[in-house]
Amino acid sequence: MKDNTTILTVITYGLLLGAVSVLLNDMREFDFNQFEKFQNWAKTANKSENWFTSKNAIEWSYYAISAGLFFWRGYLIYGFSYFLSILKEIEAGNYFSDKNIKYFNKIGNIFIWYTLNVLILRFLLALIGNATFDFFDELKSEFTFLIPVGLAFFILAEIFKRGKEVEEDNELTI
Amino acid sequence: MAIKVNLDVMLVRRGMKSKELAEIISITTANLSILKSGKAKAIRFSTLEAICKALDCQPSDVLEYIED
Repeated sequence: MKDNTTILTVITYGLLLGAVSVLLNDMREFDFNQFEKFQNWAKTANKSENWFTSKNAIEWSYYAISAGLFFWRGYLIYGFSYFLSILKEIEAGNYFSDKNIKYFNKIGNIFIWYTLNVLILRFLLALIGNATFDFFDELKSEFTFLIPVGLAFFILAEIFKRGKEVEEDNELTI
Repeated sequence: MAIKVNLDVMLVRRGMKSKELAEIISITTANLSILKSGKAKAIRFSTLEAICKALDCQPSDVLEYIED
């Protein structure tokens, strides 16, 4: 079991590093290509125009939403980092620990919140860009599988909760 | 607690120490202490059988039902 957890830990580290590097690369590209373009536009924009109704606000909303998308991607990676904590607990022999139950619940929460928020942000982004947003098409897209995965983690947390009770009962059976 | 464990009484009657009994029935003294203190949630038939054999008694001598 220890060998398996070591392999899983190495794989998880690899995936996390990969995800972080992809996110950082996307952020770097976002800054260089798009933010610069926006800065140039801001320099020539009509400053006397009302802020809320201006194109300025719309542009800023676009960047705020894009930043939000980056935040949620980072949050998802943070959720994945809990796999390492779970593996650490398993390595220590604490299978049905309170910590593992808490981590499973947290991962479930993160996965579901990520999907819902990204869905909302994509909708807002489409709204600002005047693009069409098909809710069912978005639901079909690859990232929404995280909702059932999140629910699966909640179920796993419940199973582990019961497992902990059984383990305690077993320990007190002489 | 509805079920009372009278191991202490039986040990005194047989003049046996807890450590001695733990060794005979192959359980740790910590587990025997859990059993004696009434903190145990269940007892295996094999443990009960070993206790009865070691103390030369019946299960009813070790376990007693007390109505709440």
